[in-house]
Amino acid sequence: MHNAGNLKRLGIDMSNFDFVVALAGNPNTGKSTVFNNLTGLKQHTGNWPGKTVTRAEGGFEYNDNKFKLVDLPGTYSLLSTSTDEEVARNFILFGQPDVTVIVADATRLERNLNLVLQILEITDRAILCLNLMDEAGRHNIKIDERMLSKDLGIPVIPSVARYNKGMDELLASIYEVVSGKYVCKPYRLKSKSKELNVAVEKLTRQITEEFPNLPNAQWVALRLLEGDQSIIDAIRNGELGKIYSVEQNKTELETVV
Amino acid sequence: MNDPLFTLLIGSGILLLAVVSFFPQKGLFARMKRTRTISKKILIEDALKHLYHCEYSGVGCSIESIAGKLSISEDDAAELVAKLEEMGMLSSQRDSLQLSNEGRSYALRIIRVHRLWEKYLADETSVDEREWHHSAEEFEHKLSSSDADELAAQIGNPVFDPHGDPIPSTEGDLPEKKGMPLTALKFGEFASIIHVEDEPDAIYQQLVAEGLYPGMQVRMLEESKERVRFTANGEECVLAPLFAKNITVEQIKLEKTIEGKFKNLSSLKIGESGTVLGISKALRGQQRRRLMDLGVVPGTEITAELKSVGGDPMVYKIKGASIALRKKQAERIYLHSEKSEMN
Amino acid sequence: MVAKEKIKNREAILSTANNQRWEVGENFHDTLMESIYSNASAIAKRSVTLPAQKETINWEKTLDKILTSRYLGFPIMFLILGVVFWLTIEGANVPSAMIASFFLDTIHPILKSLSASIGLPFWADGVLIDGAYLAMAWVISVMLPPMAIFFPLFTLLEDFGYLPRVSFNMDGLYRKVGAHGKQALTMAMGFGCNAAGIVATRVIDSPREKLIAIITNNFSLCNGRWPTQILIAVIFIGAAVPAYLAGIVSALAVVFIAVLGIVFSLLVSWGLSKSVLKGEASAFSLELPPYRPPRILQTLYTSLIDRTIFVLWRAIIFAIPAGVVIWLVGNITIGGETIANIFIDWSNPFAFILGLNGVILLAYIIAIPANEIVIPTILMLTVMSLGLSGVGEGAGVMFELDSIAATEEILVAGGWTLLTGINLMLFSLLHNPCSTTIYTIFKETKSVKWTLVSTFLPILMGIIVTFFVAQIWRLIASI
Repeated sequence: MHNAGNLKRLGIDMSNFDFVVALAGNPNTGKSTVFNNLTGLKQHTGNWPGKTVTRAEGGFEYNDNKFKLVDLPGTYSLLSTSTDEEVARNFILFGQPDVTVIVADATRLERNLNLVLQILEITDRAILCLNLMDEAGRHNIKIDERMLSKDLGIPVIPSVARYNKGMDELLASIYEVVSGKYVCKPYRLKSKSKELNVAVEKLTRQITEEFPNLPNAQWVALRLLEGDQSIIDAIRNGELGKIYSVEQNKTELETVV
Repeated sequence: MNDPLFTLLIGSGILLLAVVSFFPQKGLFARMKRTRTISKKILIEDALKHLYHCEYSGVGCSIESIAGKLSISEDDAAELVAKLEEMGMLSSQRDSLQLSNEGRSYALRIIRVHRLWEKYLADETSVDEREWHHSAEEFEHKLSSSDADELAAQIGNPVFDPHGDPIPSTEGDLPEKKGMPLTALKFGEFASIIHVEDEPDAIYQQLVAEGLYPGMQVRMLEESKERVRFTANGEECVLAPLFAKNITVEQIKLEKTIEGKFKNLSSLKIGESGTVLGISKALRGQQRRRLMDLGVVPGTEITAELKSVGGDPMVYKIKGASIALRKKQAERIYLHSEKSEMN
Repeated sequence: MVAKEKIKNREAILSTANNQRWEVGENFHDTLMESIYSNASAIAKRSVTLPAQKETINWEKTLDKILTSRYLGFPIMFLILGVVFWLTIEGANVPSAMIASFFLDTIHPILKSLSASIGLPFWADGVLIDGAYLAMAWVISVMLPPMAIFFPLFTLLEDFGYLPRVSFNMDGLYRKVGAHGKQALTMAMGFGCNAAGIVATRVIDSPREKLIAIITNNFSLCNGRWPTQILIAVIFIGAAVPAYLAGIVSALAVVFIAVLGIVFSLLVSWGLSKSVLKGEASAFSLELPPYRPPRILQTLYTSLIDRTIFVLWRAIIFAIPAGVVIWLVGNITIGGETIANIFIDWSNPFAFILGLNGVILLAYIIAIPANEIVIPTILMLTVMSLGLSGVGEGAGVMFELDSIAATEEILVAGGWTLLTGINLMLFSLLHNPCSTTIYTIFKETKSVKWTLVSTFLPILMGIIVTFFVAQIWRLIASI
């Protein structure tokens, strides 16, 4: 059992970090509260969707490892073209965080899964933090976390961030994923549309041939079909291959971000 | 100067004068800016575009048609054609004019800018539908190819414009023309609109006024020389054949079609629910994406929850969250017809 | 050769993608979203158990019904906002006076005697202590207390979830003028600070509507302008009615100006969406979050740190140079006259047409950095230009008088009338935003053009409105 004694909140001190943790989630799910709990910072948390519009960063130390925590703007999706979504998406893709913590509202899991599934297409290291469990309890909503974890292929941690509950478990889980003790097997989308599947398969095959190390070729194919310019550019200049073949190279990361 | 009445008059006069001269679009300065003469470049580009459209739809093109299209005299049109021939953009064989490869790629470049601009206006701005074409006619001559590429990248490299026309790629590729005119549809057949021609303007305005746009489902009810009667998304519509010809449709299989008038979200009363059938194609770009991000996809159950002080917008329960939508959007979200009472 | 091969392969991927896009057609995004949601719903079904029975009594639903009801919605909203403003105005009085007396009566003399003892030259003492220090002291004492009350109250409402309901109720009005419903939120933020309101416009998706919200935010009477409104209302409008009505009438006058600001913001939004920012009101989708009991202590803390101190710090930075300028124009002389006097005499005829005077115009020019120093600057300049003796602290020294009666004496001596008072209130509502706000507008729009429009449009309206009020007033008076 880990205890909070292992956590040292470092506020805005992010020097010499060992791991990068991204914090993503729908608006108004308590993402900023989780951020504040872990870093000891007091970022404003308003009950108003779309409060955090820019990226906030903070640090914490856990089990003698220093972590940099990046709070991404809250978004419903990563497929639209708004700036906040682009910031979030580009960080998860090109910033290559060691783990992405997705904060979800336990009372509206289904709608939150939209974003979760999109993130799982991009990265294979993620944790689902099931926040607002008290609200869910109040509404008599029961969630089988183990089943959910099995289906999604990532750790699922229930929490009540407002009252600092579940943060120890979240930290332990973050540590397990970044240290490789827990290997995620993220759920990948299955489409019912034949037309779409044919197009995606055809493209995915071609992409894997060119970039064999890419862990998310299907997602890249989907983005190409959407006409995403940053992905088109990343293919043209070969950035896509470079990013994924150099695992966990911090200097690389910093030049990209 | 100390007489208030006098000062008041002078002040009002100055204000009036300023309004008359600087009023946006209708003011004197704006008018002056607009009435600059049409340059030679614009004429050349418009002529090439016209030639390309003739070629794409497989009809002949002549000096007369150019003159008519560009509203210039036939002499001027002949001069223009001679100039184009000199530039190597086209060759004339007997009556018909043929685009050279160079001329075609030039035309495609202009068309690309035109359609991109229309797509941009439709998706990213709230400019009225009837103004897209005019604005694009202006901007197609102003934007360079690289500007256009930048614009395309910004709006997700679209492949179709809002009228359903394909947008040429940077290399000038364009898929083959699909579909058939609405008038070719027989009684009782179902089809989906894939294209609404935006020229000539008078006809297009009429089609827009009728509320027709790509993506609508039509069913032919009556097709005669006098009139074409059909339903579009369940609502009956009557057009003269000349107008109906400007609509291109693609036949669809029967299993996808729905009988009767489409029911929309805005018809729900507080406490009622319905299941989403689809979002009208008239909701485009960011608006459409936002709605889908919020969970408005076919199969989602939506319950009307709350009215605002004025009755519009209304709050709908969508996948556990309360989302406020304006009536205009709710009207464009279609539901399955069966009703179910909540509570 | 390898590189060439690679480039060829990559281009091949892109061209396959393009061809597939023609093939798949326009519905790609729709199909994809549908797939994601159907996957999500399948997963959720396996692990989530929803309550068998719907809750029958739900206080949240009842509260929503009341807050958005046809008859109670707006009255409740005005009541809540009214209470917030009232608490801000009333609650700030005492601490403001205490801080002011601490900075002015305690610290200021100490600094003065300190500078005298180390023998600072006259000009250095003036620029630093009477200029920079006093400006800072004024900004802190005038701004800090109301902000420290307003922002936490506002944040509590926000945390509770009331603001989205306001936006929901107001959307009908905003739709009619071609603007976005969330403009109601940013406008409300503007009552605290226009710069904060402009930053908040980021929640508006559509660029056109965001621009409208930015340009019209200045019509929300910000904290820096409340004190001017209140003081002038009490002196001139309160004095025009019987004593027992004075308090309520002057309070109503201030509320009237604030409401006028909302009306102007709607009118200008309408004008913009019909002309330069033409377009229909685009989509509006707003999530009404569930009500959450606010955590009061944390809210107090974060809103103090996040907003109050942030805004205050910024105001101080801008006010200090302004203080220096005020001292300089009050002390540098050309041909025996101070720069201030020269400008005042020169601009008086023009100001007269607007029902104002040269002092007010000069004060507004000097106070571009921070609106809160308008009143002390006006008093200082009035005293100076009249050459009153026995009041104030000396040339170019900002001060505020302890009693409203004393302030009134000076202003009346300076030739102020009820009309001057009313027009000052109007001009305070309709003039250029402060320099911080202008800078924020530029940062948000990244456009010089729109920054200029947002800066000069209100001032133009201010000139037009005060002109007509003044002339019509005089016309009626002359009859």
